[in-house]
Amino acid sequence: MTHLSPVAQRLRITFGKAGTLRYTSNLDMAKIWERVLRRADLPLLYTRGFNTRPRISLAMPLPLGISSECELLDISLRERLDFCEASLRARLLAVSPPGLSILAIEEVAPRSSAMQSRIISAEYRIHFHDRPERADLQGKIDELLGKESIIVERTRRRKRSVMDVRPLILSLQIDDNADLLAHLSVGDRGNLRPDHLLELLGMDDTYNRIHRSRLHLLAE
Amino acid sequence: MQPGSIERQIERHLLKVEKPGRYVGGEYNSVVKDWARADVKVALAFPDIYDLGMSNLGIMNLYHQVNRRDDMLAERVFSPWLDMETVMRQAEIPLYSLENKRPIRDFDLLGISLPYEQLYTNAINMLDLAGLPIMSRDRDERYPLVIAGGHACYNPEPMADFIDAFVIGEGEEIIVEIAQTLGRLRGQSRHEQLRHIARIQGMYVPRFYDVEYHADGTARAVTPNQPGIPARVLKRIVLTLPKPFTKFIVPNIDTVHNRAPIEIMRGCTRGCRFCHAGMVTRPVRERPVAEIMAAIDEIVRYTGFEEISLLSLSSSDYVWVEELAEEVNRVYKDAGLSLSLPSLRIESASADLLEKIGGTRRSGFTFAPEAATEKMRDLINKYVPDDQVIQTARDVYSRGWRTIKFYFMIGHPDETLDDVQAIIDLCGRTLREGTKILGKKATLNVGVSTFIPKPHTPFQWVPQDTRESVEQKQAMLKRQMRRGGMHLRWNTYDDSEFEGWLSRGDRRLARVIRRAWELGCKFDAWQDQHKHARWRQAFAESGIDPDFYNFRERGLDEVFPWDHIDVGLRKKFLQEDYLMSIRRETRVDCRDKCFACGILPKFAKERSTTDDLAWECPPVTPISQRRRARQVEIPLHAIG
Repeated sequence: MTHLSPVAQRLRITFGKAGTLRYTSNLDMAKIWERVLRRADLPLLYTRGFNTRPRISLAMPLPLGISSECELLDISLRERLDFCEASLRARLLAVSPPGLSILAIEEVAPRSSAMQSRIISAEYRIHFHDRPERADLQGKIDELLGKESIIVERTRRRKRSVMDVRPLILSLQIDDNADLLAHLSVGDRGNLRPDHLLELLGMDDTYNRIHRSRLHLLAE
Repeated sequence: MQPGSIERQIERHLLKVEKPGRYVGGEYNSVVKDWARADVKVALAFPDIYDLGMSNLGIMNLYHQVNRRDDMLAERVFSPWLDMETVMRQAEIPLYSLENKRPIRDFDLLGISLPYEQLYTNAINMLDLAGLPIMSRDRDERYPLVIAGGHACYNPEPMADFIDAFVIGEGEEIIVEIAQTLGRLRGQSRHEQLRHIARIQGMYVPRFYDVEYHADGTARAVTPNQPGIPARVLKRIVLTLPKPFTKFIVPNIDTVHNRAPIEIMRGCTRGCRFCHAGMVTRPVRERPVAEIMAAIDEIVRYTGFEEISLLSLSSSDYVWVEELAEEVNRVYKDAGLSLSLPSLRIESASADLLEKIGGTRRSGFTFAPEAATEKMRDLINKYVPDDQVIQTARDVYSRGWRTIKFYFMIGHPDETLDDVQAIIDLCGRTLREGTKILGKKATLNVGVSTFIPKPHTPFQWVPQDTRESVEQKQAMLKRQMRRGGMHLRWNTYDDSEFEGWLSRGDRRLARVIRRAWELGCKFDAWQDQHKHARWRQAFAESGIDPDFYNFRERGLDEVFPWDHIDVGLRKKFLQEDYLMSIRRETRVDCRDKCFACGILPKFAKERSTTDDLAWECPPVTPISQRRRARQVEIPLHAIG
């Protein structure tokens, strides 16, 4: 690779993460993807330099322990691949570790703007193994949502700051299974993780399982 | 315990521990078989954390050998880190396998890998976490048979009271034989099972041997106490290396060596006197280039690993190394693949080799001069002249590598401060060469380890260097070598002293090891976990003098506690080599001249069935054909 190869094609893969794969961090997930793509023998575009890597990027970090059905991965190819979605999905799935599911593959413009900056919110489903009293849970939600502001102290890159996380909670609902459905802001403009939400609700000690069900993107 | 119950139990705790991915399995290429359909179930343990154990080629090999059979299954288990151990003990979760999440107690066989001595306390801790009595004598046939193998087991005696049977030598074939034997003898007494196990060539069952001691504490004799038990246990070897394993488990979390290894050659013909591996892994067996190339191809397809390391004790000595580098370069030049070839000789050709093989990714350059004076180089039988070191460094730096790593060893017999000063000077000269070429970007990393005399080597007779002496030498190194561009690493004397105790230990050490474990010693391989004072306390409480193991100069006629373990070398050969080192005499590469180490006569029959090129030892013609093949020269001393 003596010259910078242009991106011939960019693919966006929507994938799910479940089972034991929940315990793989976002950084390690990138490595898993590199290897899946290499096993699938896709014409990956590599970065230059001594430590060359395939040009792939994951949209939005998924905190450890959380399962998902809406993760996004962009990959750049060095040559065009005329693919049929179903067969490419099958080809990737055949070389994926247990827990990884390939939900959709679409072609996007090679120079489309960074996906990360366009993601504004995420929906989560939180299941409590020891099912709480519905009224009790509703009470906690109402109390939290009733507040005008929720000031929390955060340390980020050794800098302390205070911020109001109340606007980051877009909605909280209880579904028929007594699962908590939370719609929270994510991304650079304000990020509230579901485990932090549980802390705010005073429920961080519960035995629960969190699932990310949807990412909301700004239109390009 | 019900299937699935361990999974449910751990789920509650996993997010509270560091790197929970260590404890859940589920990796690509891991083999989860139907539990009920496997006749013999084998748990393979590496007694350190997942991150380290997953890099162990031995475990992977055995995993494959067992799992490729329909009637057996093999599953992995590693030591939980301290946080997870606390959780498991509190929640009463027994040690379990990563595949089917079954308690280790439910397996027929537990095979523990013991490549180095610092894992002994962890091995015992694993037995305890599994709910097994830690002493061999307290485990009957209701418990899994506990076996151990790996390089440390060439002196099995310190662990003899904990392990039921040791694999002496190479495990690839024997593991299946053990499993089959156990399958056949299900329901029989442990004693009966072990009597059969002991008849498998390469298996050592400590309880069938009695050790007698002289009044001074040295061993008098080790003798079998049962009929039909061999007086000496000859190590097991594979005649040719089995096809390399390629379907590596791809971890879901980062691990220490997150790459796939291919063994290109086993054994070494160099004869460095300090080198345990070089002595115990004879004869030298090489793999054909085509087999390695096929393996690389398979690894890329089966695993997607971006890094492959080509392993051997001395890669430059691999006969077809040039051809291999050419091939790798031709096929994988732009494939985004990184290949590393560690253990290269210090010569200019090494830079060529690594340049070719490195492909689009580059790994570092590591050399092991070991010593820096003529005297020490002769003494250890590893001769690399200064000029060659400097010239090689120049070559490497001038091709754009910024970092070279050197390994040296201090603490050899008869080493003086002048010999240590020479290390400092040589490193200084080397880095100056780098600076001339690269300016301040040139760096030299220097690892200086402390020599530990190992069993089955020519130095098994020598005393280990004292704390006072080693710390004085290290102070010198630290004073002069921590400067711009140079980075020094060394072992603490505590760690070296500890390794010394166990390396040449005997059966009586079981008391000490057990006590140390009771006092909370574990993860002894981790410098920040090793609790030296507690080990000393364990020695004191057991009434055993630790200095007996490290500082005694052993008599030439002394019976060693590991003498009944036959690695194929004649003790006389090791002794000659030891005496030669005292006289500063060296031996050349044994491919050029056979020194009759003993391997060939021990395995003459086997050698006569292998291809001439399969071993580096001279060919042996079967007696029936010898007349017809007069032209084949057999050194008489080699078969006598």
